[in-house]
Amino acid sequence: MVDPLVLLTIVLMASVTYATRIGGYLLLRNRTLSPRATAVMEAAPGCVLISVIAPNFVANNPADLIGIAVTLLAATRFSMLPTVAIGVIATGLLRHFLG
Amino acid sequence: MTAIDTDNAPFERPVASELRRGMADCMPVLLGIIPYALVLGAQASQKGLTVAEVPLMTGLNFAGGSEFAAIQLWTSPPHVALIAAITFLVNSRHLLMGAALAPYLRHLPKRKALPALFVMTDESWALGLADAKARMARGLEPAFSLPYYIGTAVIFYFSWIFFTTLGAALGPVLGDVEAYGFDMAFPAVFLVLMRGMWKGFRAARPWLVSLVVAALTYLFVPGAWFVGAGAVSGLIAAYLLAGDE
Repeated sequence: MVDPLVLLTIVLMASVTYATRIGGYLLLRNRTLSPRATAVMEAAPGCVLISVIAPNFVANNPADLIGIAVTLLAATRFSMLPTVAIGVIATGLLRHFLG
Repeated sequence: MTAIDTDNAPFERPVASELRRGMADCMPVLLGIIPYALVLGAQASQKGLTVAEVPLMTGLNFAGGSEFAAIQLWTSPPHVALIAAITFLVNSRHLLMGAALAPYLRHLPKRKALPALFVMTDESWALGLADAKARMARGLEPAFSLPYYIGTAVIFYFSWIFFTTLGAALGPVLGDVEAYGFDMAFPAVFLVLMRGMWKGFRAARPWLVSLVVAALTYLFVPGAWFVGAGAVSGLIAAYLLAGDE
């Protein structure tokens, strides 16, 4: 049921995540980060998320490109559930009609 | 009368009512988390994770953004180092969250603070910190209510495991989700997460650098290098841009 390599990946993910959870408390509780370090830390999660989905922004068919544009617009004004619904439905319809 | 009642139940009253208060406060947030958990579970099963592996990941790691990133990059066999590195980068914000919470945890011994931090998520952190600030304004000691925080965190924890597992079990029933545009759920979730981190265009300039570099790398370099190239160039941009303030 559990592949050894999958288990290793999951245990590594869990260890790394727990280190980030206690690291800030243990290391930074008695000092302050430099503004530059704070800026890098604050930018990091967004940089990773946008990099992971970057291929969606350079898709090679118009349906998917319009789909991501609609999803981006939805994300600026709606919460999680409506945004996911709008993104999925718009992309499904666009693929059906534009091919 | 009230004072006598409190004295007669010194253990049960405050802790139980604080736990309940935390559980009640997290209910509206839970409505937003359930669909997100179902989508993650369904996508994980599409990528080949078993119904046992999904709760293992979501229960041990318990950090949704990094789990979405990992599943998006998941291959069989998985790129272990890539996924660990991406998990660190996505969750690096925990370092700042833990540092912000640290002054409120001074009254707690490490044997209580360290396990409590295992269940720290964006949601339980935000609720716990907001509650501590409100209690401080009312002069309550200690400002940070551990049972309140645990009340929120425990509900999030078990809901997250339950609904990601349910999503994994339902995934095969849904069939090939890509055919209907369901693959757009991932970018949608990521974009909503980023909207939550949005602090104005100036602060978001590194994201734009990441997007452009990652997209170009994806077009011209085979493999999963686009993630690392995009993330690292964004961090360098954040480092360089921070100097011009």
